[in-house]
Amino acid sequence: MSTTSQKHRDFVAEPMGDKPVTALSGIGEVLGNKLEEQGFDRAFVVLGQYLLLRKDGELFTEWLKDTSGANTRNATSCSQCLREWCDSFL
Amino acid sequence: MATLRSKSDQEIMELLDEYGIKHGPIVDTTRPLYEKKLKEAMAKDKKVTKPSSDKTFYREEQEEVTYVTYRTPVISEGPSGDGKPYMRSRPEYSERDFVDEKLYSRSRPEYSSGRQYIDEPHVYNTPSYSSYSKPTPVVKSGGGVVKDEKTESSERLVPLWIQFLVFLIVAGFLYFIFINMESVESNPFNRIQ
Repeated sequence: MSTTSQKHRDFVAEPMGDKPVTALSGIGEVLGNKLEEQGFDRAFVVLGQYLLLRKDGELFTEWLKDTSGANTRNATSCSQCLREWCDSFL
Repeated sequence: MATLRSKSDQEIMELLDEYGIKHGPIVDTTRPLYEKKLKEAMAKDKKVTKPSSDKTFYREEQEEVTYVTYRTPVISEGPSGDGKPYMRSRPEYSERDFVDEKLYSRSRPEYSSGRQYIDEPHVYNTPSYSSYSKPTPVVKSGGGVVKDEKTESSERLVPLWIQFLVFLIVAGFLYFIFINMESVESNPFNRIQ
């Protein structure tokens, strides 16, 4: 049994389409609101940021922490989620 | 260094490359992150480029012929006439607490055999005295605490005195074994009849 959450598995299983940012693993309501304030209201926008950072997990994690105040665990989880999604669909 | 904010995107990119920071394009959303990383890298750099160089500087000074340094009162001055040669720890030039130059006629380093006990201050520190290997500097009328003279500043995992203690224990042990060996007086080559 993998250590990923159900949310993670749901997200990486299919194209993200217009899913909200809270669909990302590690992003709950609080973090989601913070991100939306900054203009990242959809998951694909966050994906865009991930791609801009050249899909570098560390950079993205750092960015996410700075931008939304996420802790390391959540940020890493989101980063991993996006990475796996990209592996399948990008 | 001008503030990072005022630099152009291009300059930020160049700085990032300079510090070897992996990065993507500099965009509205990525710029603050890169500025932060550059600030950290610059702060770290500044801290690193200040090595403490007094020690090396000191050591170079020691290579000079005449010692003008003064020594801490650990080592007693020579002439109290031990009669025995001073076994100063050999020119570990790392110890810089020598008496004033009066005691050191360092101007004659040629006397390699140490026969020159003529002068009172028989304190030769020239490197040619192989006999004066730098062992236990026992002969100190000052009650020599020379041990820590040269090593008090170095960091050791195991304290020095413990090392000495272990050494003595091992030496004692070996000596004990040696003493208890069978004597070899008899002729081992007896022909077996």
